[in-house]
Amino acid sequence: MKLAQLSLYGGIIILLALLPLLVRSPYVVYVFTTTFIYIVATVSLRTVTISGQYPLAHGAFMGIGAYTSAVIAKQLGWPVWLTIPLGGIAAMLIGALIAYPFARLRAFYYAMVSLFFGIGVIQVIYVLTKWTSGAGGLVDIPHLLPVVSRVPYYYFFLGFMVICLLALWRFEYSRIGLSLKAIAQSHIVASSVGINEVRYRVLALSVGCFFVGLAGAAYAHYNFTLSPTSFDFLASMWLFIYALIGGLGSFGGPIVGAALLIIVPELLSGLKQFIPFISAAILLIIFYVLHDGLISLPRVIETWYKRRKPGTADITEGS
Amino acid sequence: MVLATAAVVNTLLISAMYIVAALGFAFLMNVMGFINFSHGAIYMLAGYICYQFAVVYGLNLWLSFSLSVIIISAFGFFLERFCFRYATGNLDRMIIITIAIILILENSINVTVGAYVRSLPSFAPGIVKFLTFSFATDKLLTLVICGVLLAVIIGFTGRTKYGLQMQAVSQNLEAAALQGINVHRISAIACAMACGMAGVAGCLMGALFNLSAFMGDNMLVKALELVILGGIGSVGGILFAGLLIGAIDAVVPLFSSGAVGQVIGLAIIIIILLFRPQGFFGREFE
Repeated sequence: MKLAQLSLYGGIIILLALLPLLVRSPYVVYVFTTTFIYIVATVSLRTVTISGQYPLAHGAFMGIGAYTSAVIAKQLGWPVWLTIPLGGIAAMLIGALIAYPFARLRAFYYAMVSLFFGIGVIQVIYVLTKWTSGAGGLVDIPHLLPVVSRVPYYYFFLGFMVICLLALWRFEYSRIGLSLKAIAQSHIVASSVGINEVRYRVLALSVGCFFVGLAGAAYAHYNFTLSPTSFDFLASMWLFIYALIGGLGSFGGPIVGAALLIIVPELLSGLKQFIPFISAAILLIIFYVLHDGLISLPRVIETWYKRRKPGTADITEGS
Repeated sequence: MVLATAAVVNTLLISAMYIVAALGFAFLMNVMGFINFSHGAIYMLAGYICYQFAVVYGLNLWLSFSLSVIIISAFGFFLERFCFRYATGNLDRMIIITIAIILILENSINVTVGAYVRSLPSFAPGIVKFLTFSFATDKLLTLVICGVLLAVIIGFTGRTKYGLQMQAVSQNLEAAALQGINVHRISAIACAMACGMAGVAGCLMGALFNLSAFMGDNMLVKALELVILGGIGSVGGILFAGLLIGAIDAVVPLFSSGAVGQVIGLAIIIIILLFRPQGFFGREFE
């Protein structure tokens, strides 16, 4: 990593760390904390998509992690520090189990079958009313930190996000990540050079599900209440859209996308009812203007700027 | 015996409902390869437009039904021209634009009129007695409309000029364009027809059940199940999948509670798809 990049990321993290001191609004702190959790979920979704699988069940995996951790901590009284990793592991195990049969499916069919799987998971939560309280929602989940203020949670989740992102970054730029990208480009060529396609696809889904389960479990002990509707198929779609809006092609894309689509509508709208309209406006802007997601914004501006000055456009456009 | 007959009749009625709801979605997917996730929202909008004419303005029910279908079809033209045209052939962009449409439509309705439970008056009130059974007439009406719609689709795509052009476009877009077919016009007609079918379904379901701003979400899932299970590109597949899912939804609740039935139904669908990803009668897609 170059020094400039490193200082940029360090600067962003320092700014985020200073935010609760500068902005004394608990609401802003709450919105940012939620954003950190969803950034982890979205980036873990991208880890799955680099292997060429497009899961529309990632919200359901978040739900598996959240409910596992919350139910164990609440009903069995286990310490929260133990149940959060357990939530991640539960999501990982279920992800690995379904990944084997799902390895038969490709592209569009994979997306659709995983969508049905996600809906099925939510229905299972409704069935297990005895533990999950079903549609009424699970309340009084044990707290993660023994404090009332939201600011310690903010720092906890900032650290959580940085650690998870570093781990996922390391995973993507390792040998395994390269193999996954090879599979996405052509599974036939990848198999012919000795990459075991099924094993790598299972690995990608397991890692993605572990981190999304972890994020979900942490979310449960931060929000104190859970409802199955926060993990239904629209939630899975939303995770996918966060990634698409930012741009699936790069590691930073999902981070920018999730941050934009959660923070901007929440802070811009005075009323809760108008949040969806601002989200829709952002989606339409991305759809019509920025075809490759928000991460391509600097490039689009650069191209547009150069095109205004005649003579320079043709030389630099190709490079 | 009585149980079995009841199960068969229920299967038929539920299947007819699902097929009517899914037909427009399947039509657009087959002809243009466009997966319209906003089908459910359009269907919901049609129900509310019909309610506005029939209950608020007090027009004749069938007149307001026709008006609603016409308005929704015109809306389909608009959608194709300004939204869907820029997303064909790219699943990511389809998801972005259709979710944006879902957000706008559902929340507009929710903010304006969604706070109260509303329901359309029944299109065919009363019951029909057959041997020892009695059925609600409007459910039988759904069965009839399902048959009519299927006949219209098959007749249109097989016999008319635009229908044949549609078949050509669905087989090979570039080749069809080279033969002088106006691809944009064909896709606009297809989109208008699909939205019209969503409108028919929305009005019917609005009379059978309550109207709600988010009624399209469940319908969308059912439509997806039907289309994927039946196979993309086949009308017969939709009929078959509709009957199968209708049978699951009619028979499983006889033995278990609602949520368990849902899980069993989804499990059956997933298992079938694992062994036959392209559905029963489908061709490979993308």
